[in-house]
Amino acid sequence: MSAAAAATDPAEPLDVDLVKRSQAGDTRAFDVLVTRYRGRIYAMTYHLIQNETEAWDLAQEAFIKAWRALPNFKLDAAFYTWLYRIAHNVTYDWLRKKKIEGDGEFDDERTEHRAAPGSRTAPQGFDAPDRAMKRGELGQRIQDAIARLSPDHRQAIVLREIEGHSYEEIAQMMQCSLGTVMSRLFYARKKLQDMLQDTYENPV
Amino acid sequence: MKTPFEENHDLIRWLDGEMSPAECAAFEATLQNDPQLAAEAAEMQKLSLSLKEHLPAELPVPHADFFNSQIQVRIAQLELDDARAASQRSESAISRLMQWLRTPWFFGAAATALLVAGFAWLQIGAASGTTAILSSYTPNPTVHAETFHSSEAQATVLMLEGLEPIPSNQPITGFNVHRAEPDAEMASTTLFDASGSVLLVMAKDARGQPQILK
Repeated sequence: MSAAAAATDPAEPLDVDLVKRSQAGDTRAFDVLVTRYRGRIYAMTYHLIQNETEAWDLAQEAFIKAWRALPNFKLDAAFYTWLYRIAHNVTYDWLRKKKIEGDGEFDDERTEHRAAPGSRTAPQGFDAPDRAMKRGELGQRIQDAIARLSPDHRQAIVLREIEGHSYEEIAQMMQCSLGTVMSRLFYARKKLQDMLQDTYENPV
Repeated sequence: MKTPFEENHDLIRWLDGEMSPAECAAFEATLQNDPQLAAEAAEMQKLSLSLKEHLPAELPVPHADFFNSQIQVRIAQLELDDARAASQRSESAISRLMQWLRTPWFFGAAATALLVAGFAWLQIGAASGTTAILSSYTPNPTVHAETFHSSEAQATVLMLEGLEPIPSNQPITGFNVHRAEPDAEMASTTLFDASGSVLLVMAKDARGQPQILK
């Protein structure tokens, strides 16, 4: 059952009721909320982190932080929106920490123009088309390409293409200007196009 | 004209539906006149559709039951930690109080604090309409004054010790007191009313304390 269906099914308790019960200390009510939204939160962390174990831990961390912050939640927004922001912050902090730790892979400045305009060459380390075809999963190739984006580009793409956030919301979440959001989306798409060029020319 | 590989915010905004209807119409007119830009826009649309199709907004969580149970375990642990921390804070407060009690200057400071508090209390009492004697003073150092206050009786008694006997020729006046007769031998004074009846006999006991005989 999808999270959205669970939240709107009249047989299921409403988020607002579960939140109020959770705020009163009912951990079983919170467990229902976890079950309802774990798939979406995990998907978000996984798309951003591209590591199953880390994404699992971060999703769990987001729910625990949400439990701790529940007494301050005034129900002035949808629970999922509020939860999503917590999960996003947890993930963003993790990415920032990774960046500070000096992993060159996450240096946005260095990767900004790595995919040369008009380049037809697949980036180093990317699977050759025939091998990728053997794997037979376009989705997996897209995941691989997403994983090779810098965290800022990846985050912009995930927030826009998967989560469907507006530019303004993305700018707030990523703490940057609208111009930067557009720039990141542009270059992220260009890089993905380059990385997936062979896939489109030789469809799976 | 921008080439397709230049950073093009209009293209991005059009693709993401972030343009106003007027801007959108203008950009689409540009696309019709710019085949290279139109091809680029089509490529990006294709990519966008692929991303939406292959990157699900919801994924099955590995070991989902364990995921939930671990959250419950961690919440329980956190609450236990909070309770312990609160208990430690309380114990720490008691420990700090005991350390204060052991300090040599504590009792002096406490007495001062009590005096100040008492003074404030008396001031508050005075402000609320009751009266109290804060201190007493006797110009004769051989005379000692003490006050006793009873809220229940609504009375304050002033005790003066060390006073000399009332001179026998000291006239005593009072309500319904017609005359007073001191008796030097008995060291007493008898008060009479207008009809000659005795109202009161005042004397001193063996310790020199005043007493009323009648």
